[in-house]
Amino acid sequence: MEGSVPASSTADPAPVRFARPRRLHPRSLVQRVLKSLPPLALALAPLVMRGSDVNTWVMLGFLMLYAVFALPLIVLQYLRFRYWITPAEIVIHSGVLTRRKRSIPLERIQNIIIERSLLPRLLGTSKLKIETAGGTGTEGVLEYVSLDEARDIQQLVRTYQQRRPDASEALPAAAPAAEKTAAPTGEEIFAMPFSRLLLSGTFRFSLVYIALIFSGLQYVLDLFNLTPEEITDWLLRGGLRPYAQVAETSPWLWGVATVVLAVLLGWVTGVLITLTKYYGFRLWLEGDKLHRRHGLLTLSEGTIPLKRVQSLILRSNPLMRRFGWYRLELQTMGYEVDQQGYQIAAPFARREDILKLAARIRPFTLPESLTPVSKITIRRTFVRYSLALLVPLLPLAYFFPEALWGLLALPVLLYLAVLQYRNHGYAFADGILYVRRGVLQQYVWVVPVDRFQVFYGMGTYFQRRLGLRSLVIDTAGAGTFRYPEIVDVEAETGEAFLGLLYDRFQARFRTTA
Amino acid sequence: MQPLDPAVKTVWTIKLAVFWAVLTVGTLVYDVVQLFDRSRALPFGLLPGLVGALGMAITLVVPRLRYRFWRYERRPEELYLERGIWNRVRTVVPLRRIQHLDVSQDVLERNFDLGKLIVHTAGTRSSDVVLPGLRIDEAERLRDELKHYITEDAV
Repeated sequence: MEGSVPASSTADPAPVRFARPRRLHPRSLVQRVLKSLPPLALALAPLVMRGSDVNTWVMLGFLMLYAVFALPLIVLQYLRFRYWITPAEIVIHSGVLTRRKRSIPLERIQNIIIERSLLPRLLGTSKLKIETAGGTGTEGVLEYVSLDEARDIQQLVRTYQQRRPDASEALPAAAPAAEKTAAPTGEEIFAMPFSRLLLSGTFRFSLVYIALIFSGLQYVLDLFNLTPEEITDWLLRGGLRPYAQVAETSPWLWGVATVVLAVLLGWVTGVLITLTKYYGFRLWLEGDKLHRRHGLLTLSEGTIPLKRVQSLILRSNPLMRRFGWYRLELQTMGYEVDQQGYQIAAPFARREDILKLAARIRPFTLPESLTPVSKITIRRTFVRYSLALLVPLLPLAYFFPEALWGLLALPVLLYLAVLQYRNHGYAFADGILYVRRGVLQQYVWVVPVDRFQVFYGMGTYFQRRLGLRSLVIDTAGAGTFRYPEIVDVEAETGEAFLGLLYDRFQARFRTTA
Repeated sequence: MQPLDPAVKTVWTIKLAVFWAVLTVGTLVYDVVQLFDRSRALPFGLLPGLVGALGMAITLVVPRLRYRFWRYERRPEELYLERGIWNRVRTVVPLRRIQHLDVSQDVLERNFDLGKLIVHTAGTRSSDVVLPGLRIDEAERLRDELKHYITEDAV
């Protein structure tokens, strides 16, 4: 990798080197071309499979189009792409037909993520993602730069950010070599051993991916003009055939076998997905920054400044809780959209370890018990669940009386409503608000008082009649659907609690500011 | 606690009236198209009549109720809002949390010299707290006054 950066003397110190407009790594050309091949193959595949003379010409036409337009476009894109870094901003010029000039002020940059999927790792390059606050997603992407360069950029931006633009003249000529080593220098505060990773996979049961795999399979089968039956016959040839025949005689057995198989597949994919995503998960604490690295095929590493962490979330489902396992997420601002502003700090760990780890990020002690909300909430939740069941069910029962069996679900709904109540609680202690909510997906929010943004007290018509309120404390980067809300607290208690939170919030800033 | 400018009732009424008029005309057109269809389920004019009546009722009642429950107050350290007919929401926006401020005015509001003050915070739910129905000069005055509280704190 050394010396692979063209047209710039690597001897130059980083601030000087990056101050001049730079191109991406030349190997990114290879990667762009390789990446453009699968869509081409996919477009051509049906023609190849059902080949005839006419199709051969169509195919040649496709290839010509590709050679005349797509390939030059890739080269032009590469040639037009320029980036440079000043003490104040990162500038990116790009685009062939529409030219884009983007400048990202350094003080708005929250995180620089180095992401390396399989191909870049083979070629010694990496993708650099620049993320900012307030942005809906990634603000700038460098695809691809060499790994050394990516680390240099990360380091350079960090140095500039710490020193503020006005002091930039005092920058050292080059970052010391020690800071460029592959592993971050901070203290490792969390790691996932392989056995733990496997275990956590077993708690992650998922049928979504199976559905995806099967629909992909369907496409492939169509290409080869095969039917699913032919595949099953082929799979069940030889030794398995007698079992299959026995199963076919009994529909119940067949059903059970299908369910068992689906569960097994769901389980295996769960394990595999966890493995690829969190393989080698490590979290370091380096001064006031968290450094995280994980991934099997796609290796990603990034930095989360502690001061950007808005709140901490302990997540679990009933199965995980049963065995004492939890997951720690950090709510941050302006991160990747697919993670909805939630950064995973520990995918799977014992409750006490999670608490210990969380306390390193933001010191707190989880209260022994949380204050429950009003019991009337059970009634309200039950009514809401029942309505959700009855509204579609009753018209259905008018046509199919058998649908009335669905009423058997009512006690289950009542039980769920009770569980909902038992799992809901809140507390405020030592300047931190705790809210726990949810049964199947349980969240415990830990929100420090200095992260509060806007205060809401709400009461719908029914809530007001029953003397209840809901409270929401809004924070930066909170999810649209998952946010700490205290639902159905008694009106007086609620108002008092909201007042207390607001007083503490004001007091916090009066003493420090 | 201050109410909104009463003229906002007219703005709301006009907006609702236009919305429901369009809806009523839509159903009326549908009814006319179906006029000679024998298998029609409903007699002619019933659907547009119902929609029109409902629209009329909503147009007359909702703006008044909405106006009655809207209150705001600019306090020394926070902006306080109270609103909602069905779901009554009380919002406290600490002034130090304001990220930026907008004053907006649409065509209709311009005719009545009204404007909205839009308060942006870093919060997700409340990234824009909207205070409608202010005299435009009042909205601008409030904006200029609150502008001083915007802090440089990054989130």
